[in-house]
Amino acid sequence: MTNVLWLQGGACSGNTMSFLNAEEPTVCDLIADFGINVLWHPSLGLELGDRLQTLLWDCILGKIPLDILVFEGSVVNAPNGTGEWNRFADRPMKAWLDDLAKAANFVVAVGDCATWGGIPAMEPNPSESEGLQFLKRKEGGFLGKDYRSKAGLPVINIPGCPAHPDWITQILVAIATGRIADIALDDLNRPQTFFNTFTQTGCTRNVHFAYKASTAEFGQRKGCLFYDLGCRGPMTHSSCNRILWNRVSSKTRAGMPCLGCTEPEFPFFDLKPGTVFKTQTVMGVPKELPPGVKKKDYALLTMVAKDAAPDWAEEDFFTV
Amino acid sequence: MGRQTLDISPVGRVEGDLDVRVEIADGQVVNAWTHAELFRGFEVILRGKDPQAGLIVTPRICGICGGSHLTCASWALDTAWGTEVPRNAILARNLGQIVETIQSIPRYFYGLFAIDLTNKKYRSSRFYDEAVRRFAAFTGKSYELGVTISAKPVEIYALLGGQWPHSSYMVPGGVMCAPTLTDITRAWAILEYFRTNWLEPVWLGCSLERYEEIQTYDDFMAWLDEDIKHRESDLGFYWRMGLDIGLDRYGAGVGKFVTWGYLPHEDRYQKPTIESRNAAMIMKSGVYDSFTDTHTLMDHTFARENTTHAWYDEGTADIHPFDRTTTPTQKNTKDFNNAYSWSSAVKHQDFGRLEAGALARQLVAGGKHGESWQHYDGFILDVFKHFGGANIHVRQLARVHEQVKLYREAERCLREFVLNDPWYIKPQEKDGRGWGATEAARGSLCHWVEIEGGKIKNYQVIAPTTWNVGPRDSEGVKGPIEEALVGTPIEDPTDPVEVGHVARSFDSCLVCTVHAHDAKTGEELARFRTA
Repeated sequence: MTNVLWLQGGACSGNTMSFLNAEEPTVCDLIADFGINVLWHPSLGLELGDRLQTLLWDCILGKIPLDILVFEGSVVNAPNGTGEWNRFADRPMKAWLDDLAKAANFVVAVGDCATWGGIPAMEPNPSESEGLQFLKRKEGGFLGKDYRSKAGLPVINIPGCPAHPDWITQILVAIATGRIADIALDDLNRPQTFFNTFTQTGCTRNVHFAYKASTAEFGQRKGCLFYDLGCRGPMTHSSCNRILWNRVSSKTRAGMPCLGCTEPEFPFFDLKPGTVFKTQTVMGVPKELPPGVKKKDYALLTMVAKDAAPDWAEEDFFTV
Repeated sequence: MGRQTLDISPVGRVEGDLDVRVEIADGQVVNAWTHAELFRGFEVILRGKDPQAGLIVTPRICGICGGSHLTCASWALDTAWGTEVPRNAILARNLGQIVETIQSIPRYFYGLFAIDLTNKKYRSSRFYDEAVRRFAAFTGKSYELGVTISAKPVEIYALLGGQWPHSSYMVPGGVMCAPTLTDITRAWAILEYFRTNWLEPVWLGCSLERYEEIQTYDDFMAWLDEDIKHRESDLGFYWRMGLDIGLDRYGAGVGKFVTWGYLPHEDRYQKPTIESRNAAMIMKSGVYDSFTDTHTLMDHTFARENTTHAWYDEGTADIHPFDRTTTPTQKNTKDFNNAYSWSSAVKHQDFGRLEAGALARQLVAGGKHGESWQHYDGFILDVFKHFGGANIHVRQLARVHEQVKLYREAERCLREFVLNDPWYIKPQEKDGRGWGATEAARGSLCHWVEIEGGKIKNYQVIAPTTWNVGPRDSEGVKGPIEEALVGTPIEDPTDPVEVGHVARSFDSCLVCTVHAHDAKTGEELARFRTA
């Protein structure tokens, strides 16, 4: 049995809702088939009040082995570093987190809030939120740069707003089945298996990207969302177009620009006026290009691509 | 027997962090306080941002009904900008909203509510063993099927918006998607799967058509007796066990109810304005006052917030959300004579405290007010009258009753789409005030936005649970859940499952409630941080 305790700080429950959409395995399969024992979860746990407080102390004191601590939501430090604006089970949540992180074999941060601070931590960050081991791209966070769980790993970051259910279940199963050593983490402690490729990888609008055919307005079945509508698919590390959402689609497939929510900078440009669903450009060229692409080469590529573009690249592509 | 004070922290299985204090005398709750225990300050964050920032930020207020927030955010901008919204887009927004709610019904019933029927307190009930077999967390037969199948309806949301939760596919002027035949066919198939694998065989034990014949309490009881499949369905079983263990005997609340109305009609709200909203909704708005048995329309101008007993330094006057300049108190000590929650007390300027939620929607659906073409359904109002008012059991029936009618409305959206017609009409951005509202699964939700100089000047949200979980107001009147807790029997103070029943019967969602507040300026908060 692998004991899992799941807590929420400055959270919206979105990762929990995403997790409940898991299908292979389902949340119930995790328990029945993979030996995962959910000690408690805010939406699913049975205990309330004193009974839960006792269970939490038993984890801290080692009476109940805490194999995996899953944390969803930001660590709220307000006001003035006390954490009193997020009290849980009669203490600031950050106090529980401090104690439980010392007792846990593995700590898994699910979603942007727990990994980077997320939306609550965007300017002006009224709740003084931060992630478990990062604040945006800066290492440190609540537990500090050098934190290692009892099994010797840093916090395993599964970002996304929300995290994809398969990303969560696969990591829980990897730990429960002794496979976690196979999983390489990137420099932001994200499992590479999900975050080495880009959102664009597998996007059905890729061919439009190649020929520089743009979706100029919403509600269209043609065109790439990168050139005008602010899509971050080419610059964002995620597997959204390989491991589809809700088994059926992805934002870019449906016509919504990728917001780059697996990256620490989400929401980009702090949603300043003029930056929402609009590509930031200089002299008509996107300010940000896919990683590794040089500005000069991009200009050349654009010329060739536009010249080579067949007529159908500008026509309705996925017709009824 | 003397009074005993019980502090329950946390209540759990309500979304977000809810603590409750109850005073118990002679085994019954005689006084109650509810406190929301998290502050994130979303509206502080929105101030000064791009007018469309709400489309990205507000779904993240709540991952449980993010689609409802997105709906409100879009309609708020539509009314502020004076957009035109094509009928396809209205249908696509409605369909997203509907499948989110259809998802929420089994997820809430099995995941959050029914597992308490396996509490040891009910061991002596003749229904207990079967309840454990069906409703035990993770392993119960119905729990496993219900929680798993709850993921299906939102696959339709993903066909429209790419993913659920947290898509931003609804935008002023329409939607981002333009579904194809593939998407529509898949959506039909998903609905069918949901109906033939759970809704009919497990939940109802009958066809949708047979269930739709139920119009009154007597019809429902006749349906229950008609066939063993009805009695033994999860709905029939739950109904009988709930009565057996007395869930109809407590949890009354304030006896007055509110809904903003929802699902704008695709032909009646293409040029949305705040004023024309009520007459354009399929599900009508309203207030039901059970003391006088009267229905009236609800309007956003009636809403008031009071922060006398909340952790804000804003005086004791009732104010309209457009006029709020919320200032969080630095030191949020629990003081039961003063402030004890991040939730404000929401009220109607004339009717005072109101209960929001599925029960409120169904009681209003039974009113003859509104437009002649609007949805009417008298079933839950009749059940309510049979029981002489609200209780946990009636609230629960109302919560699950919408399943069939929303299913039908989802089918209608799919039939009404005209795939080659427009999905989006690009609007002109401008300054102004907007208001968007809807009904999330758990009740009335609305956003107020004020845009000035091309950026958000003020953004205000009142979530369903803000209505329900709010603290006392300036006159000391208890909030709906506080009021509903009074009279609750407590059998075992070390395991007060009854308090959980009452709180969960409202399907409380604190994650929205507690960040529906802002501060005067970002600068002041920055100063707090360094103080």
